[in-house]
Amino acid sequence: MKNTLTILTLSLLLLACNSKENKKTDMASYTTEKQTPLEKSIADGAIVYKDFCNQCHRPKGKGLGKTYPPLVGSDWLTDKRTESIHAIKYGLKGEIQVNGKTYDNVMSPLGLSDQETADVMNYIMNTWGNTQDEMVTVEEVKSVTK
Amino acid sequence: MKNSLLIGVLCISFLACNTPKKEKNIAINTVQKTYSIEKIVDELSNPWGMTWLPDGSMLITEKSGELIQFKDGTKTEIKNVPEVYNRGQGGLLDIKVHPDYATNGWIYFTYASTEGEGEGGNTKLSRAKLKENALSEIEHLYKASPNSTRGQHFGSRIEFDDKGYVYFSIGERGDRDTNPQDKTRDGGKIYRLHDDGRVPEDNPFFNEADAVKAIYTFGNRNPQGMDQHPETGEIWIHEHGPKGGDEVNILKSGANYGWPLISYGVNYSGTKFTDKTKMEGMEDPIYYWVPSIAPCGMTFVTGDKYPDWKGNLLVGSLKFNYVELLKLEGNKVVDREKIAEDIGRVRNVQQGPDGFIYIAVEGDGIFRIMPGK
Repeated sequence: MKNTLTILTLSLLLLACNSKENKKTDMASYTTEKQTPLEKSIADGAIVYKDFCNQCHRPKGKGLGKTYPPLVGSDWLTDKRTESIHAIKYGLKGEIQVNGKTYDNVMSPLGLSDQETADVMNYIMNTWGNTQDEMVTVEEVKSVTK
Repeated sequence: MKNSLLIGVLCISFLACNTPKKEKNIAINTVQKTYSIEKIVDELSNPWGMTWLPDGSMLITEKSGELIQFKDGTKTEIKNVPEVYNRGQGGLLDIKVHPDYATNGWIYFTYASTEGEGEGGNTKLSRAKLKENALSEIEHLYKASPNSTRGQHFGSRIEFDDKGYVYFSIGERGDRDTNPQDKTRDGGKIYRLHDDGRVPEDNPFFNEADAVKAIYTFGNRNPQGMDQHPETGEIWIHEHGPKGGDEVNILKSGANYGWPLISYGVNYSGTKFTDKTKMEGMEDPIYYWVPSIAPCGMTFVTGDKYPDWKGNLLVGSLKFNYVELLKLEGNKVVDREKIAEDIGRVRNVQQGPDGFIYIAVEGDGIFRIMPGK
């Protein structure tokens, strides 16, 4: 029993650890010559993410406690695609439900271009195991108005 | 045997983890509230800076670029604000009236500006006078260069000392390995100017070839809190660390605060960028936080409105939605208390000329702490 507990703790620790930066390989694989438009958008979006989103939503999109909601496995991101674009463009305030948990905080508008918004959407929707049915385009971002 | 092996592996994995942890930390306390909180200004989106005019009215900057005068319960938009580069952490930032405002009328403010070399923006300090609800006689005092499209680390707070100098902070613009340790470049610095924008000849690097002459200290990351100590007259700052390693520092002319060569923090991903927390010729912080609280805004408590807090330091926490009271003995933090718990993302905390503490909260407004229940 004691042993099982130790092993369990150990595995949890290892999981929580993330001490290697795996992201690099992710990004590198997108910078090969034969990039599809989606691959390019994701690679560009990774740079935007690191600059603008990382601090709150964290490098692996897990968010932070009850303050910043996760992006990885987020039902809000998949179910509320337009709202997600809107949040990046214009900011977000007030209560939202993400994976059954309530978050009530403020995200300021980031001042990104429509291209950067599309790129970062494609990045967060196609990274950490997240998957997307349809690529976010600049036109789609443009169509989301205040 | 098996058990000790497991324990061994366990210890190693702890070590490998780099999850920042502070030894001998001073625990933060939640004490019985001896105050109430009332909302003074409603419906603000990101109230970055606030300052007061002699008539008791408040000037409030919105990061998006609006300047608001709040008087007798009414907001008035101040016109002719320079165009700001509202991107990432940049926008219209701090504002502060000159200590002799009553005679000279100068209002100082910082903002991200696209002026000058390169795509993007960088932090700028200007001053202006307020006439008929508009800024006039705008003078540009300092603009950091080159511009950058990165979203991070514009600084910036403004403070005056009692010798006619103005200090302001500019963060390292997300360029950790290029800017903060290089005195020929802007960013990751505290600057000192005469109040009219001239560079003081006794600035520490004034006679150093190629150095940016306005630099007062370097090796800073992203300072967003600054206040003059009411008794010693020294300028105190705090700065954001990465993951862990937010710091409180006291400014010393020419000092190097070590970013990123020494730090108590790690990368956001958990990896290390330095093993060192000390190096010769670099300053130790007065206090540091692990984990980070994301400090923004700070003020010494003076006067008699809050006898228990007098002489101590208040620091806003963007991340944990409260204001932290750092109790001081001299330059040492001896106790910590949570104030205004769950108030929201604290962008700024200032003591007004009326002696009351004001807290600016993102997506909300400005609150006043009233002593007594």
